[in-house]
Amino acid sequence: MTKTKKVIPEEYIPDVGSQVETIDGQRYLITNDAMYTFYRRSKGEFSAFFLALRDEKKMLGCKCTKCGLVRVPPFLTHCPDCDFAPTELVEVDQVGTMYSTPPITYFATSLFQHMAPYGRGRVLFKGADTAVSLNLYTTTGILVPGILNKGTEVKLVFKSERIGEMTDVFCVPSAELPADLVAKNGLEETDIDWESPVEPSISEASAQDVEIYEEALKEIKSIIKEMNGNERARKDIAGWRRRISVKALGGQFSIIIDDGNIGLDEKPLDAPDFVMVSQDPRVLLDGLAYRGAITDSIIGKKLWISKNAEFTTVFKLDRMARSVVRTKKE
Amino acid sequence: MSKRVGIIGAAVTPFKGMWREKTYYELAQWATREAVKDAEISIKDVDSVFYGIYNDIFERAAIPEHALHGLLGMQDKFGIRITTGGATGAYTMSAAHAYLAAGRFKTALVLGVEKATDCFDFSSMSATPEVIKSIGWSGDSYFEQSIGWSASDSYAEVVLAYMDEHPGDLKPEVTAQISAQLSRQVQDNPIAQRQFDQVTPEEVLNSRLVAYPFRELEICVYSEGAAALILAEEETALAISRNTGKPVIWITGLGEANEHSFVGKNQKDLSRIMSDYYASQRAYEMAGIKDPTESIQIVELHDAFVHQLEISMAEFGLVPLGKADALIEENLMTPGGKYVVNPCGGLIYCGHAVGASNIMSAWSARNELVKRGLNTALVHGTGSTIAQFTACMILEHE
Repeated sequence: MTKTKKVIPEEYIPDVGSQVETIDGQRYLITNDAMYTFYRRSKGEFSAFFLALRDEKKMLGCKCTKCGLVRVPPFLTHCPDCDFAPTELVEVDQVGTMYSTPPITYFATSLFQHMAPYGRGRVLFKGADTAVSLNLYTTTGILVPGILNKGTEVKLVFKSERIGEMTDVFCVPSAELPADLVAKNGLEETDIDWESPVEPSISEASAQDVEIYEEALKEIKSIIKEMNGNERARKDIAGWRRRISVKALGGQFSIIIDDGNIGLDEKPLDAPDFVMVSQDPRVLLDGLAYRGAITDSIIGKKLWISKNAEFTTVFKLDRMARSVVRTKKE
Repeated sequence: MSKRVGIIGAAVTPFKGMWREKTYYELAQWATREAVKDAEISIKDVDSVFYGIYNDIFERAAIPEHALHGLLGMQDKFGIRITTGGATGAYTMSAAHAYLAAGRFKTALVLGVEKATDCFDFSSMSATPEVIKSIGWSGDSYFEQSIGWSASDSYAEVVLAYMDEHPGDLKPEVTAQISAQLSRQVQDNPIAQRQFDQVTPEEVLNSRLVAYPFRELEICVYSEGAAALILAEEETALAISRNTGKPVIWITGLGEANEHSFVGKNQKDLSRIMSDYYASQRAYEMAGIKDPTESIQIVELHDAFVHQLEISMAEFGLVPLGKADALIEENLMTPGGKYVVNPCGGLIYCGHAVGASNIMSAWSARNELVKRGLNTALVHGTGSTIAQFTACMILEHE
């Protein structure tokens, strides 16, 4: 039996509670709180569009009966450019091009951290005059700049479980798919061969590699000690707990984040929250020393993480690096 | 015949990442107290109030201004709230001007306030993801919210489309230099959130990508604070000015434009910020400015993102479209250059207390016109999805 999903996932909901924060000798009361409203909202005139996505695996637009402009999505019933002439629903092709180069979100809102990094951009489907905003992915792993650009041809893909929302569909570059899948209408995500994240193997270390590793580890230890003594950096990980296994050419160690404390352990972890792998141990060192963001190293495929959702933790490490640099300048 | 309208008082509370010590009630009253003190009038002399508050969710109340009216001493007087996304403050000033110019009132309080970082994400134990989630409710609720619309990715769409058309512009080393320059300028702004956060271009380039192509040090920071102006029609403004000995800073031009929120033929051209173009052109026309490159000396621009700052400067006609990097490469905005751009540090370093931000920019422009003995400033606010809304204002110091 499928588990029922809640409108608000459990992990977002705080316990009832309060705390006192003292600033300049004054006590301030801080209360856990929420402003929530639930909806049973009709899709109204958009129902046909969303039902076509959900039930027929079709993308609809609306065509003005006077000027012929085809708008996707069909967000209106009458054309404002033609003194409100009526429009009629039409189906458009499931192959299109990027109207412009799409952004990629790495640091997402609390609702979307689980799907970062993700692309969202405008797709101009064949037969349409306007571009629809859709999620964009690659079949080759993490979406990085350069995979999707203005003019890149993309294919509409339907999720297997559809609920009648824009999240039912997304696009991938056509060039990543065989021709028969590009030609197929109603292509589902399960039809596609997705590259599975596999932990990169690390080659055998030479004596020189071990020396480099030991040197880097020494510096990383020193930085982590400094972070642990830095109030601003400690605030960056307040309330956060993670056990991270770090593997590199020459050895492995663990980073433990525990509600404002950060530590390094040279022993490997049995069940880490996630794993970081880098052939060169200096990649992580540079990030922690604020000589380039760790985020950028992941995007640039110099550093691998086992869970994309842990970008949140990586952001916290990047922020700690900056906090230490800021404090030094003061 | 419409009346001339000028600024005769202004104040801004410190902008901070978080005000544990104050609610938005106190922030609003604090800015108001200081603004009437600056104008050397009593709150009893103020006829009307125009509230700039962006987002009900931030204040955790629908109609957040209702509680402010009495505590500001405006009981039984006119009060109206304006909310137009990031452009809230600029549109609020525009609305107040219209009422005064029409002769409805002699004086007006323009009050912007925002309390953003009470929002808190308990899953990551930090405020920012929840703050940007709250802003995420500003995206289209049928077609965009559910797929991860955010203010950053929405403005990034515009910036990347511009870069598609002008691939040699908005070079990373230039955006990094602009950010570093703004961080130096903010040192003179005592109310700024990041007054002492000076960065080098290298640090900007080393900061993390938040939404490609924006790096952390190229994005405005969310703030809490309030800003207030006292506006008056000409006769009242001159009388107050004679009393205080402070010059009236006249609002001589206003322009606004809101674009389409969907993209494509007959809709939004994603590679342009036409709202900036139309709003600035309309403001120039009203102020009688024929050539802005000759007239505009100070620009207090809503820099949500450094890249957008560059595009906005081009849309204002102050640097050619496609050659916005000339702002740095030809020293147009470097110290001693043709334009003084965001002397307050902009929203990236002074901070972005949304409803208050553009009003803070007007406060800064007024201060700078007087301090530097200059004549003309452009104040700007941008907001909503894909830089849809703009309001511009020309300030003159005679």
